[in-house]
Amino acid sequence: MSVQRSFYKERIFPLIFMFVTTFFCILLTSGLYLATLDRAQANELSFARRAILQAASLEFTNTTEGIEQAYHQQIEEHLGYYTATGDFGTRYIIPLEGPGLWGTISIMVGLEEDLQTFAGVAIVSQNETPGLGGRIEEAWFTAQFKGKRTPMVLVEEGTASLANEIDAITGATRTSEYFKNLTARVPSEAQRIIRGE
Amino acid sequence: MAKSKLKKTFLEPLGKNNPVFVQILGICSTLAVTNKVQNTVVMTLGVTFTTALSSWTISLLRNHIPSRIRMMVETMIIAVFVIIVDIFLKAYYPEMWKQLGPYVGLIITNCIIMGRVEAFALQNKPLPSLVDGFSSGLGYTYVLLAIAVIRELLGSGSIWGIQILGSWWTNWAIMIMPPGGFFVLAIVIWFIRETIMKEASNG
Repeated sequence: MSVQRSFYKERIFPLIFMFVTTFFCILLTSGLYLATLDRAQANELSFARRAILQAASLEFTNTTEGIEQAYHQQIEEHLGYYTATGDFGTRYIIPLEGPGLWGTISIMVGLEEDLQTFAGVAIVSQNETPGLGGRIEEAWFTAQFKGKRTPMVLVEEGTASLANEIDAITGATRTSEYFKNLTARVPSEAQRIIRGE
Repeated sequence: MAKSKLKKTFLEPLGKNNPVFVQILGICSTLAVTNKVQNTVVMTLGVTFTTALSSWTISLLRNHIPSRIRMMVETMIIAVFVIIVDIFLKAYYPEMWKQLGPYVGLIITNCIIMGRVEAFALQNKPLPSLVDGFSSGLGYTYVLLAIAVIRELLGSGSIWGIQILGSWWTNWAIMIMPPGGFFVLAIVIWFIRETIMKEASNG
């Protein structure tokens, strides 16, 4: 009798206990996950669309509704790329990915009609060092690509003056290099994606 | 009597039993997230929420958890609260969620949470455990905030992303890198132990 009792207490009860706890934990978390799934997906989509608008250098209000409105008015989706039309003519926006210091940097690049001149650059995702390489997300850094053409040259932060010079980020030389290499691929990628060459 | 005990439970983690500068727990996240005040605030809110509620839940279950599987159960309950924080941030504060990246999920490895559960919640009633978890979170919070303010101010010239120091200021890049975290943490611990805690123990 007592052997049976201790067998139950030592072996069976812990199993049942673990099983029941796991069941409730999974129930709770998956319920919450499903309840917020729509919202989370909407956020992801909104991030992607904001990057496209930024890459095309379009004006928009930075709210979910503002992004949606501007996106539907001015962006057209094509296979593998996007176009934006306005007073400036047509701008092409292509997605691009490349290595960074710690992981993949993925960006959206806007190009003018010649497919050479940059209209804008926006970061979709990156895992660079926060506060150093992570500063590629800052507006001043991405804004400097507007109107430039490859090949570009990196110079010390705050000293860019010539038409092909880009301010590198102090303390993030490697990330700056990787980012420059990524943008260097833009014209050929654009030819490939848009013209099919 | 019960009230004064509860008060003591609340005050201890803030001072002489502080998780960061006395127990030296939760150091990994202290080093990782304190390069920006904003990240730090979200991280500490997440940790406070998790320590308080997981201590409370485990204290509720303390007489039923078989001791040989108690660590598994504890880890799972902590994980549930961390996932709740993650899901909440992802749905309602996506920008913040993106910035914090893997750190939210790593709340689970914060030693303070498991530490309080093992050292306190398993032997005490739910209410004192909740208080203990919550104030351990607060004790963690204020030390991290102090470090974050110093690091962001020296490293980026700003606090909460708002530029405080003018353009004459040269950012100390090392402050936002991990070594800066070690330096500031050590200085803060030394300062608190040498001044405030010494006075308290003398008086």
